[in-house]
Amino acid sequence: MADDGDYDDGGDMGMDDDMDEDEYNDEDQDLDGEQNTQSGGQQTQGDERMEILNEDDLGGGQPGMRTDPSKRITTPYMTKYERARVLGTRALQIAMCAPLMVEPDGETDPLQIAMRELKEKKIPMIIRRYLPDGSFEDWSIDELIITD
Amino acid sequence: MFFHVSLDHEILLHPRYFGPQLLKTVRRMLFKEVEGKCIGKYGYVIAVTSLETIGVGKIQPGRGYVIFPVKYHAIVFRPFKHEVVEAIVTQVTKMGIFCKIGPLTCFISRHSIPRDMEYDPSANPPCYKKKDDDSMIQPDDGIRVKIAGLQVDANEFFAVGTLMDDYLLS
Repeated sequence: MADDGDYDDGGDMGMDDDMDEDEYNDEDQDLDGEQNTQSGGQQTQGDERMEILNEDDLGGGQPGMRTDPSKRITTPYMTKYERARVLGTRALQIAMCAPLMVEPDGETDPLQIAMRELKEKKIPMIIRRYLPDGSFEDWSIDELIITD
Repeated sequence: MFFHVSLDHEILLHPRYFGPQLLKTVRRMLFKEVEGKCIGKYGYVIAVTSLETIGVGKIQPGRGYVIFPVKYHAIVFRPFKHEVVEAIVTQVTKMGIFCKIGPLTCFISRHSIPRDMEYDPSANPPCYKKKDDDSMIQPDDGIRVKIAGLQVDANEFFAVGTLMDDYLLS
């Protein structure tokens, strides 16, 4: 019994580590996003990245494995896999009564609302892209270029 | 003994609490989940004094929930063997006395009570009484106890006390 439990725990941990991407929920994201749209400058975006970095450093974890935002090498486009996972996660949250970041305008389907939020880049998440050496890059959704 | 220590805790947050009040909710849930609970290594958490950081939340894959790592400072009560503490008597039986040291329950066997104290079952409520003078122990009395043994569970402590030492009892 105990062995089984231990084994399961270990397996779960491994799964988490092996995740290609992990979404992060950033509580300050909504505020920052609004500031960005108001001033609309690149400068504020830089500030925002700094802020996330600081927060992450304070928040613990493995800050050493995190790639500096200015030295990131992965694509600035959101991949279709990230898009699918972000939409799925966000739709699930909306279905679980999460507050909306956009006006629903009569829309009731969580997935449709999530798609509208993604179109307006209002989803308050950060995508963590793991690289094969175990380091990772954090990309917030409003930095990524979304096609179609 | 009381300590002021730095601890961490993980808050599992339902999506309905996202929004402008998020940090306030995390703070409130920390107080609710931590205060009054017992952590095996550190003892009973009496009160959270300050929050150090609320880290970046991590989304649980497939569940929609978010885990926030929180670092906080708290005052904890950790009893030790051979420590002398004040306690309040809750129950008196012929086997001994049960008393509470704040959240901690302590049992004092009658073999650890001085020989000249006699159990008096006829009194109401039952009590331990000295023959030569009026001093007695009955429920709701405050007594001074020395902790003779301590059993540590994952989320509970149980102490065995003694009154057989100098300056104990009252």
